[in-house]
Amino acid sequence: MRRFLVKFFILLMFVSGVVQLKLFDISWEIFRVVQPLHIALSLLVILFFMNSFIYKHIRRYYFVRKTNSVNGWMFLVSFALVTLSGLYLFFIGNRGGDILGIVSFNIHLFGSFALILFFLWHITAPMKQNREPLALLAALFLLYPSISQSKITELSNLEITKNGAKSYHSEDWTNSAKCKSCHSEIFEQWSNSNHKHIAGSNPYYMVMETLAGEVEGEEFRKWCMGCHNPSALSVGIGKSTHAMDGNFVSNEHFEKGAKTLLKNFKEHGNFRLEEGASCITCHQISDATSKGNASFSLSLDRQKHAFEESKSALGHWFSERLINSNPTTHKESYSKEFYKESRYCASCHDESHPQNGIKIVSTFEEWKKSPFNNPNDKTKHKSCIDCHMTNLKDDKFTPLKGTSTDGGVVKGDVKVHYFAGSNHFLAGLRDKAQEEQTLQLLRTSAKLDVALKDGVLEVGIKNIGAGHHLPTGVADFRELWLEIEVKDREGKLIFSSGKLKSDGNIEDGSRLFQKVFGDENSKPVGLLFWKYKTLLSDTRIPAGERRVERFTLNKEAKYPIQVSAKLNFRIYPQWVTDAVRKVFPVLSNPNAVELIRVEKELK
Amino acid sequence: MKKLLFYTLLLAIVVVSTMATIAYLTPPKKVPNYSDTELRELAIQKGHKAMPSSLDELIFLVDETSNPMTRDKIALGEELFFDTNLSKNGKTSCATCHSFDRDLKNSGAMLQMLTQKEPKTNDCAACHLRDQSGVDRFTFSQGDKDTVHPNLLNTQTILNTAFAKHFTWSGEIKSIREQSANSLLAHHKLNMTKEDINSTLAKNQRYQKLFAEAFEDGITFDNTTKALEVYVKTLVTRGAYDRFLDGDDTAMSQSAKRGLANFINHGCKGCHAGRAFGGESIQRFPLREFAQLYDIKPNFEFFPELKRLDDEFPFKNSGGYLGKGDAHLFRVPILRNVTKTSPYFHNGAVPKIREAVDIMGRHQLGRHLTLEQIDEIVAFLRTLEGEIVDYRGAK
Repeated sequence: MRRFLVKFFILLMFVSGVVQLKLFDISWEIFRVVQPLHIALSLLVILFFMNSFIYKHIRRYYFVRKTNSVNGWMFLVSFALVTLSGLYLFFIGNRGGDILGIVSFNIHLFGSFALILFFLWHITAPMKQNREPLALLAALFLLYPSISQSKITELSNLEITKNGAKSYHSEDWTNSAKCKSCHSEIFEQWSNSNHKHIAGSNPYYMVMETLAGEVEGEEFRKWCMGCHNPSALSVGIGKSTHAMDGNFVSNEHFEKGAKTLLKNFKEHGNFRLEEGASCITCHQISDATSKGNASFSLSLDRQKHAFEESKSALGHWFSERLINSNPTTHKESYSKEFYKESRYCASCHDESHPQNGIKIVSTFEEWKKSPFNNPNDKTKHKSCIDCHMTNLKDDKFTPLKGTSTDGGVVKGDVKVHYFAGSNHFLAGLRDKAQEEQTLQLLRTSAKLDVALKDGVLEVGIKNIGAGHHLPTGVADFRELWLEIEVKDREGKLIFSSGKLKSDGNIEDGSRLFQKVFGDENSKPVGLLFWKYKTLLSDTRIPAGERRVERFTLNKEAKYPIQVSAKLNFRIYPQWVTDAVRKVFPVLSNPNAVELIRVEKELK
Repeated sequence: MKKLLFYTLLLAIVVVSTMATIAYLTPPKKVPNYSDTELRELAIQKGHKAMPSSLDELIFLVDETSNPMTRDKIALGEELFFDTNLSKNGKTSCATCHSFDRDLKNSGAMLQMLTQKEPKTNDCAACHLRDQSGVDRFTFSQGDKDTVHPNLLNTQTILNTAFAKHFTWSGEIKSIREQSANSLLAHHKLNMTKEDINSTLAKNQRYQKLFAEAFEDGITFDNTTKALEVYVKTLVTRGAYDRFLDGDDTAMSQSAKRGLANFINHGCKGCHAGRAFGGESIQRFPLREFAQLYDIKPNFEFFPELKRLDDEFPFKNSGGYLGKGDAHLFRVPILRNVTKTSPYFHNGAVPKIREAVDIMGRHQLGRHLTLEQIDEIVAFLRTLEGEIVDYRGAK
């Protein structure tokens, strides 16, 4: 009986391992059951059965009967190697970063074939027929919970088809907190980024969404939510909500490392929906077009390893071991080749009015026409992530060397998840390093030059670094302007422009680079940017272009003059922040930052 | 070996048959599939009738001989309800906590508040005024000079209280009149005295006129509360659910209809009764003792999910309130507009409606509602959202 069982178990372990090979291409549903069974049963069998059998077997034949068998010893060695490599794969995994993991994977794979050869060689006695163990095994299989309850993940797959659009359930939205245990560094970057705080915790957004709901009707919020809060929209929630802390709006926006998210996940799991742009919002996009207004398809039905959705700590731990031991599927189900293309980002970073189709944000369109879009010459082609997801150091793109998975393959250019754009202010409320990344990116964007012609001061601004207009995005909510100071020979101020007034607004007559939206009556739209019908002015600087601003100086000025020209940037105009502070008084005013300064003496 | 096999099989048979027996003896609650007409009739039969759409109908339903509803009184009550002079600091009115826009059709309040120089209301009102929720959306109520409620109690909605029989969290108050007197005088609410109120009103010529029209004996504290009561009774909301009862089958989605069927069949309607879906009785919450209890959730994994419940409530009881007579007795809250009045429970400890439904199912019905049932019930509760019916124009 024991002799039969030991053979049966060895074959079982071998077969259950080998079928997991890509070669056999078994369906995912079977794979995710076979994988944990292979590990768990092998561990149990080796611990409680094999070890004692091997000990007795060697004692009986080698020490008592004094027989020696070379193939037997080789069998033992291969068995030990396969067991050890299996243990390594399970507890540490083949994450790609350590050579031992790769070695273990290969030993486990090829070693098992060697093992089976030695095994066949070693057994010469014919196998006794015994059906009892099979019955026992079948009973075990039947009793095993994850087989009798194979609907662990389907349970929540509530699919309602409404106007062709699918709807998901909060249980389908794997919480970002889950990703932290293996992708800690990326999680950290994302947790302080503006993508994380794009919905309920963002005071500017909450004001705008609520306002849009008031002015255009509650349904209109869905336009905003498509990109800002797709998870809520996909489960049929019609508006974004903010958390409360006692009687105050929660300060989640200022909080580092997504503490509230982690706490909520611990207490409520997926039962409480994670709102905003979560990890899987972007990493489960199955297709995207550059049309904008959330022109992406979401498919949350991915291949999950066993126990991945488990609510118990042990189950969670186990599922992570399963992923690490063979991470290919996990990796493939979270990343697609087109994630590197600009159209992927464009699905949200281009924006038009949902009813009249008027373009409001055309960052992708701008990029498409810019020299950065150069598919013929790969060396000159730069997509969104080449600037916005590349690490910066000393004002230069310095690809980050490191891993995206803890213990994973060391990559030469880890795509950083700061998503540095121009909003240094909100990211800076949480993380100074991230603010610095954004400021560095902003500083790479333009160049200033100053010249004097016939008493006219000419300041040239060239868009050298941005693959789109400067500024882009909701460009009527961005302030990029020139601050000029001219002093004469005696150090007396003879000209100035672009100073901030005491109420925080930029003084009238300053040279701003922005577009100003007007409604159908050519009146500025103010906060209601979606009311845009006529373009009142557009002074943004397209990619690669240079704009010259002329300032006429007083004719009697005493030369030589001392010119100081600064290119300043502020993420939100004072009047926008003033409105938001009405409902979120703890918010500070965004600071105006100096991007470039040129000081020159002119004759 | 054979013995081991025998016992394993025996054990397996015992386990499986025990599970099967338990499953057989406790069949899942079957909620029948109703047709729209059947569901409508069932809801009406259980007392969940529609809210009246005309003032006459409303008066017919809720009028009392001790304080008859007249148009003059309603107009006076409205004036008083929004008057911040009836508070000690001169900034708080009934509408500060029971918030909604006096101009029921106003659709530009937020933009106006965001762009005006000196904001006149608190921060929350700018966005939430038009919710027409009748609450302040705070976790705990805050009255005159921002004094918080001594028990950190959450503000309950004032809307649809015309159909309630009990008021406040303990339910000990029997009429809106009684509670408006309490609110006017309580230090953590409007913080006035009867004399203050009478003299403030008497100084105002407009009030002199309004009171003279509405009451024979003019300005008295009693008349003030009577006028407030009559006005509050007109604050009734109608929503998709009422349209469904009136015959519009499309007013409720399929899942909302199933939610209503769940609501009735699982027994929620037992306490959340009547037109307002609550406010009619005082009940125990939670129904079971919680201290030292272990909540074991079988999850078909190595270990079941185990949670120790040490609190008096299935959430943290900040404020330490224990209900009427410290006996966990609470007035059943009104569920109309419940989806607009988060956070939930007496101290606002639960922020999300789904979590509140889950807790109610578990601790009041004694069953773990499935995710689907929770979602359906929430979809149904959303159809109870409504707008305040404007009876002023209608005859």
